[in-house]
Amino acid sequence: MERPQELLKPVKRRLIYLTFTLALVVELVPLPVGSVRWLPDFVGMLILYWVLNQPSRVGIGTAFILGLIADVATAGLFGQHALAYTITAYLVLLRQRQLVMFNLGIQAIAVLGLLQVNQLIMVVARMATGSAFVGWSFFLPPLIGALLWPLLTNLLVLPYRQRSL
Amino acid sequence: MDFANTPSFFRQGPRPLVRLISCTTLSIALLVADSRFGLMEPAREALSVVLYPLQWAVNAPVSGARDLGSFLTSQTELQQENRQLRAAALSNAAQLGRLATVERELAELKALGQIASSRTDVAAQAEVLYTGRDAFTNKLIIDRGTNAGLRGGMPVLDSHGLLGQITRVQPLTAEVTLVVDKNQMVPVMIERTGQRAILYGYGGGVELRYMPIHADVKEGDRLVTSGIDSVFPPGVPVAQVGKVDRNAGAAFARVACIPYAGVQSSRYVLVVSEKQMPPAPKPAQPAAPVDAKAAKAAAKAAKKAAKKAADKGAAKPAAKTAKAASASAPR
Repeated sequence: MERPQELLKPVKRRLIYLTFTLALVVELVPLPVGSVRWLPDFVGMLILYWVLNQPSRVGIGTAFILGLIADVATAGLFGQHALAYTITAYLVLLRQRQLVMFNLGIQAIAVLGLLQVNQLIMVVARMATGSAFVGWSFFLPPLIGALLWPLLTNLLVLPYRQRSL
Repeated sequence: MDFANTPSFFRQGPRPLVRLISCTTLSIALLVADSRFGLMEPAREALSVVLYPLQWAVNAPVSGARDLGSFLTSQTELQQENRQLRAAALSNAAQLGRLATVERELAELKALGQIASSRTDVAAQAEVLYTGRDAFTNKLIIDRGTNAGLRGGMPVLDSHGLLGQITRVQPLTAEVTLVVDKNQMVPVMIERTGQRAILYGYGGGVELRYMPIHADVKEGDRLVTSGIDSVFPPGVPVAQVGKVDRNAGAAFARVACIPYAGVQSSRYVLVVSEKQMPPAPKPAQPAAPVDAKAAKAAAKAAKKAAKKAADKGAAKPAAKTAKAASASAPR
């Protein structure tokens, strides 16, 4: 309950774009093959973060467009990320005012649920279009993403924390 | 709560649920369009073009680092790799050589098989065991003999042409005298003109002898067996005319030829049976003196028989015998 009492500088639009670009870059970096199994979906996490903290700037439409870009970047099916991000963004917006008041631990649990919803939607979308089930390890990355959530939040707060206070 | 700044009432746009429904519908439509109908390829291509600079920027440092790493590969590593590659190349070369041999053999066998299936007079297909050890003759030993029904005099072919003739037959092997052997002669015909000649081997090569200076023979002419002898089947290619040397001082042209058959290289050969001649007319009647004696003897015998028959009173068969005897006498 301590964080919202902080006084912060207004968030610049540039920063939002930059973070999304960085997340996409992470998707595109040629990483070792095995890392896909545990690396969390940074684009999804950032969408959750910005929808949670800047609902007027980043909303369902942004989530949808970023989903399309992520689809192309990950060479997935066109629309699977878009669908997942759209739905989770909506879920965040439903309870945004509550979620933003929680401390980081509880937020992380909520994020875990939302990221799992992401994965679930993608699995359902792929299976509905005829792919085989990829295995339960597909649901591991959200756990790591949830563990990273406090770190991410603190990192993104840094640029607009006021120095003189 | 400045952080989660509450949106202003007028700038809110459509309600979140409406947005959700429209975006969800759109993405489901995209999913179906992409997976079922593949309609989204152009959009995907356009987006990937937009993404390309990003991709390039991300990949450049990684590939740069990789290049640097390969540049700094240690000398020993390179040496070791070099040694390994050399060893591999050596063993590969050996294997390749074996493969080439086997391939050549296969090609030869295939060609021979085609000839064998197209001929009706094939006696046997044989493999060359070794070349005769005598340096003065050109002979081959093949792995078929009387066991395969071979007889001396049978022509031997390989996939390119006439190779030689069987000159000696053992139970399990046979000796083939090659066309290039000294004393080996083949009646041939210049395919282009039909002119007949005899091809002589001279020990290591073949040539046409006794060709008149003005004979129509040119470099490159094909010589085929003429078939007028009773040994070689007609039309088998034998040699190609090489150099024609017309010396005004000599009576005959020197015509060097190159045999078609791989006289030193063939591994598999085909033995064909001798040409089937029409049955020769009965040999000419034996010489008169011998025959006269025989006739006299026959006549005597006939007379005796006739006497006997007369005694017996049955002259018919005796007369017949006499008739036969007189028929065999010279006309």
